[in-house]
Amino acid sequence: MSTLTEAPPPLRPAATERKAPRSRGRWTPYWLLLPGILWLVVFFALPMIYQASTSVQTGSLEEGYKVTWHFATYWDALGEYWPQFLRSVFYAAAATVLCLLLGYPLAYLIAFRAGRWRNLIMILVIAPFFTSFLIRTLAWKTILADNGPVVGALNSLHLLDVTSWLGWTAGDRVLATPLAVVCGLTYNFLPFMILPLYTSLERIDGRLHEAAGDLYAKPFTTFRKVTFPLSMPGVVSGTLLTFIPATGDYVNAELLGSTDTRMIGNVIQTQFLRILDYPTAAALSFILMAAILFMVTFYIRRSGTEDLV
Amino acid sequence: MPFVNWLRRRLVVIAGLLTLGYLLLPNVIVTVFSFNKPNGRFNYAWQQFSTDAWKDPCGVAGMCGSLSLSLRIAVWATVGATVLGAMIAFALVRYRFRARGAVNSLIFLPMAMPEVVMAASLLTLFLNMGAQLGFWTILIAHIMFCLSFVVTAVKARVMSMDPRLEEAARDLYAGPVQTFVRVTLPIAAPGIAAGALLSFALSFDDFIITNFNAGSTVTFPMFVWGSAQRGTPVQINVIGTAMFLIAVLFVLASMAVGNRRNRQKA
Amino acid sequence: MNTTDSSGDVRLVGIGKTYGSFTAVHPLDLTVPQGSFFALLGASGCGKTTTLRMIAGLEEPTSGSVHLGEQEVTRLPPYKRPVNTVFQSYALFPHLDIFENVAFGLRRRGIRSVKKQVEEMLDLVQLGEQARKKPHQLSGGQQQRVAVARALINHPKVLLLDEPLGALDLKLRRQMQLELKRIQTEVGITFIHVTHDQEEAMTMADTVAVMDAGRVEQLGPPTELYENPRTTFVANFLGTSNLIEAEVDTRGGGDIVLDAGGGKLVLPEARCSASARTGDKVLVGIRPEKISLTHVDDAGEIPEGRNRVTGTIADASFIGVSTQYVVDSAVCPEFAVYVQNVERDGRLVPGADVVLHWSPAHTFGLDAAQSLLAGTTGSAGVESVEEEAA
Repeated sequence: MSTLTEAPPPLRPAATERKAPRSRGRWTPYWLLLPGILWLVVFFALPMIYQASTSVQTGSLEEGYKVTWHFATYWDALGEYWPQFLRSVFYAAAATVLCLLLGYPLAYLIAFRAGRWRNLIMILVIAPFFTSFLIRTLAWKTILADNGPVVGALNSLHLLDVTSWLGWTAGDRVLATPLAVVCGLTYNFLPFMILPLYTSLERIDGRLHEAAGDLYAKPFTTFRKVTFPLSMPGVVSGTLLTFIPATGDYVNAELLGSTDTRMIGNVIQTQFLRILDYPTAAALSFILMAAILFMVTFYIRRSGTEDLV
Repeated sequence: MPFVNWLRRRLVVIAGLLTLGYLLLPNVIVTVFSFNKPNGRFNYAWQQFSTDAWKDPCGVAGMCGSLSLSLRIAVWATVGATVLGAMIAFALVRYRFRARGAVNSLIFLPMAMPEVVMAASLLTLFLNMGAQLGFWTILIAHIMFCLSFVVTAVKARVMSMDPRLEEAARDLYAGPVQTFVRVTLPIAAPGIAAGALLSFALSFDDFIITNFNAGSTVTFPMFVWGSAQRGTPVQINVIGTAMFLIAVLFVLASMAVGNRRNRQKA
Repeated sequence: MNTTDSSGDVRLVGIGKTYGSFTAVHPLDLTVPQGSFFALLGASGCGKTTTLRMIAGLEEPTSGSVHLGEQEVTRLPPYKRPVNTVFQSYALFPHLDIFENVAFGLRRRGIRSVKKQVEEMLDLVQLGEQARKKPHQLSGGQQQRVAVARALINHPKVLLLDEPLGALDLKLRRQMQLELKRIQTEVGITFIHVTHDQEEAMTMADTVAVMDAGRVEQLGPPTELYENPRTTFVANFLGTSNLIEAEVDTRGGGDIVLDAGGGKLVLPEARCSASARTGDKVLVGIRPEKISLTHVDDAGEIPEGRNRVTGTIADASFIGVSTQYVVDSAVCPEFAVYVQNVERDGRLVPGADVVLHWSPAHTFGLDAAQSLLAGTTGSAGVESVEEEAA
C-alpha cells in the first residue's frame, strides 16, 4: 500500500485533462465544415434552385423575366429536343460499353500482369490528363481525317460500307459522324473507367485465383466466377464516372461531329450562350439532371453496390 | 498450334497494350504536329518538318496570356479547394455531428452531376445576382467543383489511419494542436497532396464550366476552343507537348525521390 | 482405407526449383504412399511451400517431374490435377457464401446436383448451420473448416495443406490438429501438410520430412526422427539435444567406444550416421530427458554399462511435471537435463557436484563436420521469423 501512496502525482489533474478536448471539440466539426459547406451551398445548391425557378419564368431579355409557373416550357423543350436527349443517352451508353471493353484488359494488365512495368504504365495512363483534353480531342481530327490512315484502312477492308449501312458513318467519311463522336467520348473518359477498375482489381487477393484454379476452374472460368464478380465495385463506379459526364458532354460532338450529331449539351450551351433563351436552357438542364439521377439510382439499386465513392 | 497457345496466354496483355496505344495515340499526334509547318490556318494535315513553333512558343496573339491566366486560376483554385476540402474531410472522419448524411450527399452530388448542368445553373445564379463574369466567377466555380475531389482523397487517407496513433500522441503529452500538427497532418499529407494535384489538373483543364462563367475572359482551354473555329496555331501543340513532358518528368522525379527515401529508411 | 492401392502415391523425381540465381528447392526425390499423412517441416524459406506448390501445379518446377500414381502431371495446370489445396489463410471466395464456396469445385467439373454432397461435407466439418453465411461472418476456426471441406468434397487423390493452422490461436490449433487427423482417418486420402511447427508435424503426421535450405535433411516417422536424428539440424530443430565433440577410440561388438574429454562413451554402431574409423571426430548426441542425474555421493549406485559424465549444477528450474537442470561439465558447457518430478532429491541444487548417466542405446552419433548450432532457434524462434516474413 505504501508504494501506491508514494507514487508521484500525475503531471496534470487527470479529470480536467480528459474533459478539456471534448468540451472544446464540441463545436470544432462545425467550424471545420462551415466554410466549405457554405461554399457548396451557395455555389452548387443555391444555383440549382435558381435554375429551377428560371425554368418556370417567362419574359424576355429586354423586359426581364418573372416567375409565372410556366411549366409548358418543359413540354416544349422536350417536344423539340427529344432526339438530342435520346442521342446523348445512346452515345454515352455506347462510349461506356466501349470504355469497359477497352479499359478492363488494361486495368487487368496493370493489376496482375505488368510486374515491374506497373508504375510506368500507370504514369502513361494518367499523364495525358495533363495535356489539355481539347488539344488531344483536336488530334482525333487528324487521326480520323478523310485521307488519313483510319479511313484508308476501313475503306480497304470495306468496313466503311458496313458502318455506313448501320448509320454510324456517312459516305467515305468518319469525321463528322456518330462513330467519330463516340470514339472521342470513349477516348476522353477511358481513364475514368480504368482507374476505378484497377483499384478494385488490385485489392483482389492473388491466392483466390490460385484457389479457383486448384478447384478445377479454367482460366476463363476463374475470371467469370471469381475475378469479375469481385471487381464489380470498380465496374459500377467506372461506368458511372464514364456515363454521367459523357451524357452532358458537348465538346466531342462539337469538334468531331456535325449538326446531325448534336447532343443535349450542345443544345443547352447554344440556348444559354448564343440564343439567350434562359428558361428553355434551364428546363433542359433540369431534365438532364433529373434523368441522370433517375438512371443512376436505378442502376445502383440493380447492381446492388451501395458503397461507391 | 504453339503460336495459338502463345497468343491465347497473352491475349490480355495484347489487348491491354492496344488500349494503352489508343490512349497515347493523340499525344503522339500532338507531339509530331508540333513540328509541322501547316499550309493555311489549320494544323490537321502534315506538310513539312519545322521547329519554328518551338522557337517562338508565344508567337500567337493572346495564347500565352490565356496560359498564364489559367495557371493563376489553377493555383488559387487548388489552394482554396485543398484548404476547404481537407477541413471537411477531417470533420467527417474524426468528429461526430448532426446532418452527417446531408453533408455527405452535398459532397457527392457535384461529382455525380454533368458539368453542363452545374455550369448552366451557376450562370443563372451569377446572372440573377448581376455579378461581373470574369476571373472571380471562374475561380469560384473551380473551387466549387474541385472541393468534392479533395474531400474524397483526404478522407480515404485519414480513414485508413490508425486512430490509436492520435491517442498515443495525446498519451505522450501532446495537446490537440500539437497532435494535429505533429501526427495527423504528416500522415494525411499524401492524401492532401493527391487532392491538390487532382484539383490543379481539373481546374487547369476545365472547359465546360469555365466557358459558361467566364464572360469575355479567355483561359487556355477557351483559347484552344476558339482556335478550333478560327484556325489552330502550331504553338498549341507545343504547349500540349511541353505539358505532357513536364507531367511525366515530374512524376518520374517524385518517384525517384520516394525510392531514395525508402532505401534510406531500409 | 485401402493401403495396397498405389493410385494415390505421390512421386517426386529429381524435382527442383530455382529463381534466377537463388535455389529454392534442390533436386529431390520423394515418395508419399497412398493414404498417408505426410508432413513437410522446416523454417520459413526452407523450400517446403515451394515443393507443395509444385505438387499443386501452382509453380512449375525447373527440373524433375511430379507423378500421381501412374500419371505424370508435371506440365498439367492446377485445374486439371486431381489434387486440392487448403491455402494459407484459406483464400475463401469473399463474394460467395459457404455453400457456394464448398460447391465451387463440383460445379466447375460440371456436376449438376451438388446439394446433397455439399450438405454432407458441411456436416462432416460441423458447419451445416452456417451454409448461407459469407466467409467474413465466420470465426477463424470455422473458416479453416470451410477451406478443408471445399478441398475434400472433390475427393482429390492428394490433399495439400499449406500451413493450414497458422492463423489460429494455440488452443484452437490443438483442437484442429485432432480434427484434421480424424478427417484424414475417416476419408483415407493422402494428406501432405506443410508446417513450421514441429509439434504439429509430430502429432499429426505418419511421416515427416525435415527440410532446410532447399534440401530434405531427414525423412521418417516422428519417433525415428526424434530418437535417432541424422543431422545436427534435425537434432536441434526437433526438440533439444546435447551434442558432445568426441573422437573414436575403438570399435567392436556392434559398439563404438569414444573418447570425450578424457572419459569414455559408448555408442551403438547402428545409431551413428557418420563414418567412424579410429581417430575420426564424431558428435555424440543425447536428449535431455534420457539422462539421469545422481548426486556425486551416490555415484557407486549407478549400474555398470551406462555412459557417464561428471559436472556441477549451474541452474535448476522447476517446471511442474519436471525440473530442468543446466549442468556445467568438461565435455559440454551447458548440459540440459530434464528430470521427471517423481521423487525429488533435495541435494540437487545449483553448485552440487553430480554424475550424469544414460543408456548407450539412447545415444546417437553425427558427422562432426556440421555446425553444432544448426536449427537451434527451435520452433518458437522460427515462428517469430515467419511472422516477420509475413
